[in-house]
Amino acid sequence: MIHAFLKLLLSGILVSVIGIQGLFAQTLSVTGEVKTPLSLTSSDFQSLERIEVTAKDRDGKEHRYAGVPLTAILRKAGVTLGGELRGENLSKYIIAKAGDGYEVLFSLAEVDAEFSGRTILVADSVDGAPLPQGVGPFRLVIPDEKRPARWIRELKSIEIRFAK
Amino acid sequence: MRNIPLLVALAVFLSSFWVETKEKKAELHPYKLEYPSSFGSRFVIPADNPTTEEGVALGRMLFYEPLLSSTNTVSCASCHEQTKAFSDGRPLSIGVSGKPTRRNSMSLANLLWVKNLFWDGRVSGLENQAIFPMTHPDEMGQSLEVSAKELAKTTRYPSLFRQVFGTSSITGEQITKALAQFERTLISADSPYDRSLKGNYTLTASERRGMELFMRGAAPERGVRGGNCAHCHGGAKLMQEVFHNNGLDSIAVADRGKQEISGDELDNGRFRVATLRNIALTAPYMHDGRFNTLEQVLDHYNEHFHFSPNLSHELRTSHNEPTKQRLGLTSSEKKDIIAFLHTLTDSIFITNPAFSNPFETKK
Ligand code: HEC
Ligand code: HEC
Repeated sequence: MIHAFLKLLLSGILVSVIGIQGLFAQTLSVTGEVKTPLSLTSSDFQSLERIEVTAKDRDGKEHRYAGVPLTAILRKAGVTLGGELRGENLSKYIIAKAGDGYEVLFSLAEVDAEFSGRTILVADSVDGAPLPQGVGPFRLVIPDEKRPARWIRELKSIEIRFAK
Repeated sequence: MRNIPLLVALAVFLSSFWVETKEKKAELHPYKLEYPSSFGSRFVIPADNPTTEEGVALGRMLFYEPLLSSTNTVSCASCHEQTKAFSDGRPLSIGVSGKPTRRNSMSLANLLWVKNLFWDGRVSGLENQAIFPMTHPDEMGQSLEVSAKELAKTTRYPSLFRQVFGTSSITGEQITKALAQFERTLISADSPYDRSLKGNYTLTASERRGMELFMRGAAPERGVRGGNCAHCHGGAKLMQEVFHNNGLDSIAVADRGKQEISGDELDNGRFRVATLRNIALTAPYMHDGRFNTLEQVLDHYNEHFHFSPNLSHELRTSHNEPTKQRLGLTSSEKKDIIAFLHTLTDSIFITNPAFSNPFETKK
């Protein structure tokens, strides 16, 4: 009896330790065609420009997402946006990758608000709470897209590449 | 006889053609990889190892060659049998030492499209992958150098390697290159399911229901029932290169999967989503071969999986019944999914003479 109880307790502690460490360990990397490669943590996110958007998730319901605009992160890394987004820079693209290895692509031009007029959010909270495990700490939110297939959960890396 | 220089020139000129045609004959013939256009060409074949008819033929011999093992009794095919879609039917495999391997043997099909090989994705590229089984003490247990020497001693191999790689001595790298060429040709795309997509096979009612459950996610608010299998196991190739924790253990301790490679706690118990092609032939299932039957696999997804901290979000949130924590499919729905999984058995693939043991006399 005591043995079983101890085992249960121990595995409970282990589960929570793994869970907590996992969340702290998680960073978002920005690499490739950048001036300064970045590795951002949840606390870095608090010191960047923050916005809030309302958008419909897979469940068909509206949610309030908060976080940092993707362009703010790209600008911090020194990616060619705005006035610099011309000529060969228009053949740049982004590969965004999730924790499970799932990858989606964006052209650089489509993510730049100045160019395309759209806002893409790297969210770290939904409806006032941090994103849950398995979804966060970071998730892409693209409010104007009809299908959320590029809203990748557990966003791990953003790589800017040239189409060669 | 003023024309002699001219004749000589003509002879030289003509002989140059002769030499050229002779060299052409010794040239290697590119191997044409055939696959449905829906599979796409998101793969990279290393520039220094193009796939050729001759290289593939050599790779096939090496795949079945026990000389590549320390006991001269184990070949790749010992753990990757064609009749089992190149798996071996054991929970864990047995090689030269007699000690079981750490994990369940994997089916070798459509590896052309896989970048990160093994259950934990630890190796990229088939050329690099082959080094692992060849040298592992519990698999084939022999260094590449010794294997190359063994082959050089035979009458069969030196001329074949010379033909494919153009060098007089055999190297370990050439062995892995030829094996990789052969493995790239192991394409499975002719199952009844594939034929049904082309209109050449009609799924039974149960197989069709199973396919729909397999492909769809549950949406009870819209009256849609689903097993959501395709979220991970879907796509034209029925394979996506993603890594998930499907709740086999509450915490993966004995085998941490991808965490052992990345060091990231979030990767605890995450394994590569294995291909379900030919799945009816590749029991037992999962990275440790823990389930003997597809029925047990379906029970796992429907009734038993652990809510481990890293459990995939998709499994955590797929419910057909408000009262059920997991999928909540009925037993007849589970049977339908299994019926669909049987339509992924590609009998052409497992009997294709081009993939069979070249040393066995034809019956
Ligand atoms: C003793 C049994 C054994 C032998 C012999 C063996 N393998 Fe394997 N093979 C395995 C096991 C077990 C795995 C899974 C191991 C893992 O994930 O850690 C595997 C995995 C693989 C994979 C990865 C497939 C995928 O989808 O990622 C390839 C490719 C492969 N083997 C090719 C070969 C080749 C080529 C040879 C011969 C040079 C060979 N194997 C010999 C047992 C064996
Ligand atoms: C969240 C992603 C995910 C979903 C959804 C999912 N699977 Fe899997 N599946 C996996 C992973 C990951 C593995 C390998 C796990 C391991 O061995 O550790 C796997 C393994 C399997 C295997 C064993 C493969 C082998 O070669 O041993 C079968 C069979 C299988 N799944 C069937 C299904 C069916 C049927 C469904 C739908 C009811 C389903 N899966 C839903 C991720 C998923």
